[in-house]
Amino acid sequence: MISTGATKKIESLMARYPKKESALMPALMIVQKENGNVLSKGDIEETAKLIGVTDAKAFGVATFYTMYNVKEKIGKYHLQVDTNIPATLAGAKKILAYIEKKLGIKAGQTTADGLFTLHEVECLASCGTCPVIQVNDTYYENLTVKKVDLLIESLKKGEMPDNKARSNWGSACNVLLKNRGVKDAAKLSVYKRKGGYKALEKALTMAPEAIVAEVKESGLKGRGGAGFPTGTKWGFLPKNNTNPVYLICNADEGEPGTYKDRQIMEYDPHLLIEGMAIAARALGSKLGFIYIRGEFDWIADILETAIEEAKKGGQLKEFDIIVHRGAGAYVCGEETALIESIEGKRGQPRMKPPFPAAQGLYGCPTIVNNVETFASVPFIIEKGAAEFKKFGPAESAGFRIFGISGNVKKPGAYEYPMGVSFNDLIAAAGGVDGDLKAAIVGGLSVAILKADELKDLNMDYASCAAKGTALGSGGVMVINDTWSIPELALRAMKFYAHESCGKCTPCKEGSKMTVRALQKIVSGQGTTEDLANVERLVGTIKGLTLCPVGEAFSVPIRAMVEKFRPEFEALIKH
Amino acid sequence: MKLIINGKEIVAQPGMTVLEAAKAGGIYIPSLCYHPRTGQAGKCRVCVVEVEGMRGLQVSCNLKVQDGMSVKTKTPQVLAAQKLVVDLLLATGKHDCIACESNGKCELQDAAYYLGIERAPFKYDDIHYAEGDKSAPFVRLDKDKCISCGRCVVACNNQVVNEVLDFAQRGYRTEIVCDDDKPMGDSSCVQCGECSQVCPVGAIVDVKSVGKARSWETKVVRTTCPYCGVGCQLDLHMKGDQIVQVTGTEEGSPNKGKLCVKGRYGYDFIYAEDRLTHPLIKENGEFRKASWDEAINLVASKFKEAIDKYGPDSVAGVSCARSINEDSYNMQKLFRGVFKTNNIDHCART
Repeated sequence: MISTGATKKIESLMARYPKKESALMPALMIVQKENGNVLSKGDIEETAKLIGVTDAKAFGVATFYTMYNVKEKIGKYHLQVDTNIPATLAGAKKILAYIEKKLGIKAGQTTADGLFTLHEVECLASCGTCPVIQVNDTYYENLTVKKVDLLIESLKKGEMPDNKARSNWGSACNVLLKNRGVKDAAKLSVYKRKGGYKALEKALTMAPEAIVAEVKESGLKGRGGAGFPTGTKWGFLPKNNTNPVYLICNADEGEPGTYKDRQIMEYDPHLLIEGMAIAARALGSKLGFIYIRGEFDWIADILETAIEEAKKGGQLKEFDIIVHRGAGAYVCGEETALIESIEGKRGQPRMKPPFPAAQGLYGCPTIVNNVETFASVPFIIEKGAAEFKKFGPAESAGFRIFGISGNVKKPGAYEYPMGVSFNDLIAAAGGVDGDLKAAIVGGLSVAILKADELKDLNMDYASCAAKGTALGSGGVMVINDTWSIPELALRAMKFYAHESCGKCTPCKEGSKMTVRALQKIVSGQGTTEDLANVERLVGTIKGLTLCPVGEAFSVPIRAMVEKFRPEFEALIKH
Repeated sequence: MKLIINGKEIVAQPGMTVLEAAKAGGIYIPSLCYHPRTGQAGKCRVCVVEVEGMRGLQVSCNLKVQDGMSVKTKTPQVLAAQKLVVDLLLATGKHDCIACESNGKCELQDAAYYLGIERAPFKYDDIHYAEGDKSAPFVRLDKDKCISCGRCVVACNNQVVNEVLDFAQRGYRTEIVCDDDKPMGDSSCVQCGECSQVCPVGAIVDVKSVGKARSWETKVVRTTCPYCGVGCQLDLHMKGDQIVQVTGTEEGSPNKGKLCVKGRYGYDFIYAEDRLTHPLIKENGEFRKASWDEAINLVASKFKEAIDKYGPDSVAGVSCARSINEDSYNMQKLFRGVFKTNNIDHCART
């Protein structure tokens, strides 16, 4: 059943987007929320009819994204325990086991009284504040067994307890985290008092080409993970274009180990909005989107409030921003999958060419940049490219928020110039908790480095490449010597198989097949043939898939097997 | 323009893809998701090739030919990639060819044969198969044979625009569904069979053809569909003098392979026992067999009689909607030019 109120909300969403089909995802969420957190087939059919898409399209979308609960009964409190690598390193599996025991159910089950449903979920981007449980829409971070007790007792009484959590941060640059400790920094008045929107003011007096030139000159590279030069990307927009240009901010932040974008969006949303507004001026865009992962519901609210304030305050005169919530799909961090998702479709990557700059959202020229990338733009415009380049080495100009998680004493988000040494970064995070065994330094999808490879590592593109890894999203996961690499490899691989969109064969079937082989090895039932299968799979899948997800799992798993082969072999039956 | 594939010079038209150029030049590159009518999908990743001067493997279905391009389709890297894709498909699907309807015309089988794959090497015990969907009268769907190529989904939505099929779930659980996962027989599917025609494997098959003939036992006879005036081109798949399957002629206008449920599956009438095979004349309340000449002479004389007595407007003609355009044209010519009346109409007017 869709209530009149919900129908009205959905209709206004349909009018808000350039194409009404884009309202399908938010509409399904609205309908789910008012129907006991479950989407029945009847609900899906009604929503499809309201939006004007086929039942199959709506069903395909509802079953693609994990945040839609299709056909499944969900308890009053949906406990979602993140057990991805950063969470596992922080002890999440113990927390999960404790809850299972306490509630007398296994992950995937609901208690008999219908109060709790327990699920093991993928990275919630709380890597520095793990272990984390998402209860319905609310994050509870830094959990301990004791805190779990308090949480569950409170929920049993029908009360959602306060979810305030301590988190560590630090800044050696005072740009991206400048306002992190400032009270009410999300408010326009505070942001302006701290010098905000001066860069936009300046940009509005500049010729668009001059803005693009300045960004190009700064050497800013995309902070999402791929590290593509931002100015060059902007330069790909077709000349003499008569179609609308869309600007998209990729705030999907799904790469395990990465929780930097939320630091900006939650604590300094106007920095992102200002960056987008400058880019809009440079690229001639009238409409932008912030595609934010659905789990960041409260941050999306913060952004929407800030956008409203900016509009009322006259900061967004010729540019509007729609906040589009994802619904649980890692692959939507890939720009063409993200575009499909905004169009109200299953988040599956497109074939390239054409590239988004030529044919992106609704078939129009589109530029997609990461949150941190946009947030770096105001500095470049206000202070100039030369000032920006004073941070970091020449080929890795600028500053960056590194998210440190895993076995360190003070996991957190630390802003440093590019090229900071791994050792300095770890020292900022309180040092290694235990003996350093290895680290994954660019989000989960890059090659693992052993302790001896980390000694002289600097956190810039060239230094990482020289070590055979990548700077990626700047998410650093530190692993001490209590962990088994094959077990981490299996957990990592389960994540990719769970997140594979299913569009191309090598990723769809290959990811699952790699899980099967690793599972057999880790369970002690594996043979040399299983290890050979793993190596064949990850060795061949790299470069064979439609989008970078194939590479995202083949590279790290291959590195784990190569660098820690004795650990795998020790598990194998001879 | 010219390109070199495996050292052989191939003439290609600008705008062609490498896959199309190779096919035109008689060089086989395995491919599973591309179909001329459903377009490039980039999904199966089996049509990869190496191109001189380009880094890594290239997907030949989405690569436009360039003059002088040098393409290799059989390098160790290409074959290893193709073999992995086919191995994965064979290992994860119910690809037992023995009783499969598509044996002999299966594109996955062709690829496996080309790559010399007898059996997939991956054996893990959590791969299970379910029963196929036999709920619909003419089209049978076995999801365990599906390779997720997506041809049927594009065909259903963009070719015949029935908008029934789509993909649901994700990752290795991805499957095609009718509407919101209804059995095909309960769904809004009109059983046009377009999905069956484009399916590269045996996942979607024509129920009426099951068990009737192996693909190599049939010969194809092209004809025009007798049902309506559109004149769709049909390929009748004949085993002896029996039709065992009807498909739309891919390169035939106007339908370019598409058919409706009647054209594709309504062919039993030709074997009906009470089908008229010669003219009958009714005399004293009883029908008797007559020759064509006798029947036509009788009809002509009756028309003549009526026109002589009451004038040309005393007769009228209604052309059958099942006639082809040329027949309807001749019908109106007969009435206007010979009978001198404008009383001519067509039963599809309503």
